[in-house]
Amino acid sequence: MKSDIELNINGTAKKIFVEQSKRLLDVLRENFLLTGTKEGCSIGECGACTVVLDGEAVNSCLILIGQCGGSEIITIEGLEKDGKLHELQKQFIDKGAIQCGFCTPGMAMSAYALLLKNNNPGIEEIKEAIEGNLCRCTGYKPIIDAVHSAVKELNDS
Amino acid sequence: MIPEMIIKNPSSVEEVLQILSNHRTKNKIIAGGTDIIPGFHINSPRFTGIDVLVDINGIKEISQIIELDSYFSIGSSVTFSHLQASSLVREKLPVLYEAASGIGNKQIRNRATIAGNFINNAPCADSVPALLVYDAQVVVKSIENESIVSLQDFLEFPYKTILKNDEIITEIRIPKKNAHLLGSFYKLGRRRAVAISRISLAVLGSVENGIFTDFRLASGAITPIGMRFKEIESFILGKGIDRDLLKEVAVKTGSKILEVTGLRWSTPHKLPVLQKTLYQLLVNNFLENDEK
Repeated sequence: MKSDIELNINGTAKKIFVEQSKRLLDVLRENFLLTGTKEGCSIGECGACTVVLDGEAVNSCLILIGQCGGSEIITIEGLEKDGKLHELQKQFIDKGAIQCGFCTPGMAMSAYALLLKNNNPGIEEIKEAIEGNLCRCTGYKPIIDAVHSAVKELNDS
Repeated sequence: MIPEMIIKNPSSVEEVLQILSNHRTKNKIIAGGTDIIPGFHINSPRFTGIDVLVDINGIKEISQIIELDSYFSIGSSVTFSHLQASSLVREKLPVLYEAASGIGNKQIRNRATIAGNFINNAPCADSVPALLVYDAQVVVKSIENESIVSLQDFLEFPYKTILKNDEIITEIRIPKKNAHLLGSFYKLGRRRAVAISRISLAVLGSVENGIFTDFRLASGAITPIGMRFKEIESFILGKGIDRDLLKEVAVKTGSKILEVTGLRWSTPHKLPVLQKTLYQLLVNNFLENDEK
């Protein structure tokens, strides 16, 4: 059944009239054209669709929009501020943590969710934060290095 | 493909029960959705023909972990991340803490709930062996009734529990007298994260002056449903702890499991792994602690 859903996406209040059982992932991509969020496995194993929902990293493929009323959602498009990339994004580029780029938005959002809770995570905490994000080309080391460098940069500045 | 449904977002258990008591529609509770939504994609018969999904996220009365006089109350929609972050769970229910921490991945643990883990009674549900060794009870409510049953009785057959369509689990109760016991949870999956358990075990007990004064052993994946091994538990009680006893327990447990499951294609691999693993688990938890 269709209904009105109000939610906040990347800091802006939104209202849409949509099928309640549509996945959050599809609403982001199709209704809001936020195609940075990717669909990989569709069953919560790959993490490509990770977004931050009310401060927590979640798989947007496993949440229906009818469960999201009143929520605050941050997607990869929400990290950039005033045309400037977030430190995480800069470090992903700098450390060569991107090859095909398909897992990157999900990785960045898992790392971002970690930083919301812990502004000085160690390597083990970074690894745990991205355990639900699969990368099939870069390998995980440059990704972990990128997050680690972002942590250092954010704490130094 | 996800079928079109009505999603309701009640804000109290009372409201949930009102919705569930309407038998003209097929109603299904959804919490984390990490089982239901993949189930829709494969047209799982467990989730076909649903008219109304009742979203219980955000109902405060069932999303809290509370310490009461004689038991700990864990709300049915408490997520695994919440369990993992709770100092009460970490300090007083270490076996449950271990099981919760190894489930799925961060994103899954942020959504998946404790009751959702065992509600479909899959043997690989990691919370089950941990809850069984703690003698967990399940509080079930319908609009007319409230009942409290042991988790073991709640888990009826593989993939089937005693929960009826108009009922909800509101909380899981763990007697506080179990909080001083030592133990741990073991899980063997095909990789470290996002792995379905192939073998899962929980042990809990206490050794005083070299004698077992309490002992509980439960399986998850490896038996058709999670279960306690009462015969083995009573065999070990009152006996002096040494390596020979622990070996005997591991061997006996293996035979008991074989008796329950029969010979399977995986038996030649799983049985020795299980016996060795259980032996090591017992040594680590009870013998080495005792020798310290």
